[in-house]
Amino acid sequence: MSDLVVEARGLEKRFGRVTALDGLDLEVTAGEVHGFLGPNGAGKSTTIRVLLGLARATGGSAALFGRDPWADAVALHRRVAYVPGDVSVWPNLSGGETIDLLSRLRGGTADARAYAERKARLVDALQFDPGKKGRAYSKGNRQKVALIAAFATPADLYILDEPTSGLDPLMESVFDAEIRRVAGEGATVLLSSHILSEVEQLCDRVSIIRAGKTVETGTLAALRHLTRIEVSFSTGPTDAQLASIPSVDDLESTGGRVRFTVDDARLPAVLPVLGALGVRGLVVAPPSLEELFLRHYGDAP
Amino acid sequence: MRALLRQRLRRDRVQLAVWIVSTALLAYVAASAVGTTYGDTDERAGIMRLAVANPAILLLRGLPQGATLPAFVFFQIFTYLALLAALMSTFLAVRHSRAEEESGRAELVAATPVARIRPTVTTAVHGVAANLVLGAAVALALVAGAMPVDGSLVAGLATAAVGVAFLAVALLAAQFAHTSRGANSIAVSLVMVAFVLRGVGDALGTPSADGLSMTSAWPSWLSPIGWGQHVSAYTANDPAPLLLCLALALVCGAAVFALQSRRDSGASLLPAHAGRPEAAPWLRGSFALAWRLQWPTIAAWSAGGAVFGVVAGALSGVVVQAARQDPDLAAMLQTLVPGEGSVTQVLVSAMFGLVGFVAAACATQGVIRARQEEASGTAELLLSTPLGRVRWLADYLLLGVVAILLVLLGAGVASTVAVFATGDDEAHVGESFAAAAAQIPAALCYLGVLALVFVLLPSVTAALGWTLLGAGVFLGTFGGLVGLPQWARDLSPFTHTPEVVAREIDLSGGYWLVAVAVAAASAALVLMRRRELR
Repeated sequence: MSDLVVEARGLEKRFGRVTALDGLDLEVTAGEVHGFLGPNGAGKSTTIRVLLGLARATGGSAALFGRDPWADAVALHRRVAYVPGDVSVWPNLSGGETIDLLSRLRGGTADARAYAERKARLVDALQFDPGKKGRAYSKGNRQKVALIAAFATPADLYILDEPTSGLDPLMESVFDAEIRRVAGEGATVLLSSHILSEVEQLCDRVSIIRAGKTVETGTLAALRHLTRIEVSFSTGPTDAQLASIPSVDDLESTGGRVRFTVDDARLPAVLPVLGALGVRGLVVAPPSLEELFLRHYGDAP
Repeated sequence: MRALLRQRLRRDRVQLAVWIVSTALLAYVAASAVGTTYGDTDERAGIMRLAVANPAILLLRGLPQGATLPAFVFFQIFTYLALLAALMSTFLAVRHSRAEEESGRAELVAATPVARIRPTVTTAVHGVAANLVLGAAVALALVAGAMPVDGSLVAGLATAAVGVAFLAVALLAAQFAHTSRGANSIAVSLVMVAFVLRGVGDALGTPSADGLSMTSAWPSWLSPIGWGQHVSAYTANDPAPLLLCLALALVCGAAVFALQSRRDSGASLLPAHAGRPEAAPWLRGSFALAWRLQWPTIAAWSAGGAVFGVVAGALSGVVVQAARQDPDLAAMLQTLVPGEGSVTQVLVSAMFGLVGFVAAACATQGVIRARQEEASGTAELLLSTPLGRVRWLADYLLLGVVAILLVLLGAGVASTVAVFATGDDEAHVGESFAAAAAQIPAALCYLGVLALVFVLLPSVTAALGWTLLGAGVFLGTFGGLVGLPQWARDLSPFTHTPEVVAREIDLSGGYWLVAVAVAAASAALVLMRRRELR
């Protein structure tokens, strides 16, 4: 399996009595954009710190490009660009200085012209002021520092830990375009997030983790298969008519709309019945990742 | 106001308790130990005469007011009590003013129906209360150390008054600086200037006929610590000079409120500097970064070292001239020399002991800086690039060594220049530099040991770092004074600093210190390979 860029098997990480990772599995193949989903505290950042060799696993194995991320950290980091979840910058360095410093450390400035061009384009697109001191930046602006430094230098693997949590929607679209660009150039992306729409738009495959364990992994289409379709329409049909619809669960009628869920496989049998009832304002929606999340982590039934 | 005051008390309860208890403890230990160590009046008179003749001792202690036991205690310890009160007050003031504005928390409070100057008034009340408690604790501690009650009260009041004066000074500094770091450095520099001014004033003072007391020269009257000292507790017991402290506090306070009610929240009189949009070409690699981050601090420590150097050099010149006119004084000074050295050598070497503390403090701060990088998350950003952990720490240690050398070099150059400027023909260029070089081992020892602490117990780096330094300075400076056994004094690296004025220079202490430093630093680097970021 030489095309695995990230490979974690039964990864465990304990801090004293607290278990942060409890047998986590993760596989990211070369060239894919992989969504890494989980609620806060599920262990996303810990996994990423292990993959970067900043923390050492207490059990299981992890490999980046087939090598040990702890022992070969420095060599591996030449191929990796990283954006932390909560970016800290040096308070007395300007944003521009920080970007240049990080890019130089990564060796991405060897081609000075290409670097300057990419940096200028990103600074412009993200409407970033590189002349301010680090202490003056808001969370979103600190995030931009790390994003610009990451995308201004080429890398084989981009590890992004909730990279857009401080950005406004306009800036998010710039970010999306950058992800598509690097993915188009053949790079691999591991994108941790709890912003589901972002993952839905960008990722080829996702892994969902909860309490330090992987609970689902696969393409979005495959995961949707596991869940139910929500159907809703305006109220009108009588209770008796509603009861005649086959394979229906979670039936409820609120706010002028009737809602129920149905198994994806049974949907073809349901639709003709709805047609016969003459329902209006029909919406048949695949589950959003919010619902996938609710199913795995929420208190909802 | 109640709620704001309660919040301040709650936030500061541990920190202020530590300041107050340790200051009172210092007072108690000094009072009780002087009684046991220097119980004999003749012995005290002898020491006092030596002190009066030796500007370096005067600079480091205070203004002699006779050889009675209580006056002797006040002479030995008051300037340090005042220094601690001043530092406690400046940190308190900045913590609750500029630091709050910088972090944005002040905005949260300002958005509530609280008057614009209310938080500052609360901070002032809080700080004055802290100083009154500190003063009372000092007075109690002195009484507990068998000192007379009236003089102890005056000494406690003087300590509190110096603290209140610097509380107001620091609040004013916080109006000027844009960052809490800036405000702290302005305020702490002013405290140090006050300490040195009073030291110079005392050192250049006029001795009385019996050689047991002194009238200080004018620089002492420019310093709040000098004003506090002039209450002459246990002798004159005159609290009148404290009115100067009060007046300074009122003037600064009025300025603070005038500025505070006119300016925007978060604004400052000195503008924030804009940064450069691109990094300088040399800013590549972690040594360059460490230098970029720390050079202002290193420059400040070096300036501090240079100030001590100038004082050392200038005073020695003055004293040598005095000794030339007064054979008795010359003879007395000569008895101070452990081996046989020139008067200049003795004075320079005593002053350079202080420079050694400064160098060790600079090294300590360098290692603590590495921990701050780790705790704030910027180290994570760095170490996710092709930069190894070991290399990163090694660069910090390398910069620590450079910083130590810069501090000592600054002091050596300044001292040499000052010695020449005062026209002392006994001056040899080598003396100041030899005395400076003698301080290298102890400072290196702090650097290495704290690096090991940083690797093994990162979360206590800052606390343990300053504690180790404080303990070393205490044992090295006061260990003999308070009558601690030799083994306890030997725990301080400064005790082992080579004595360069002796005819036969014993370097073995220095070798040991360097060996400890190298061993600890090597262990730190080896263990860093296996250490996670925490």
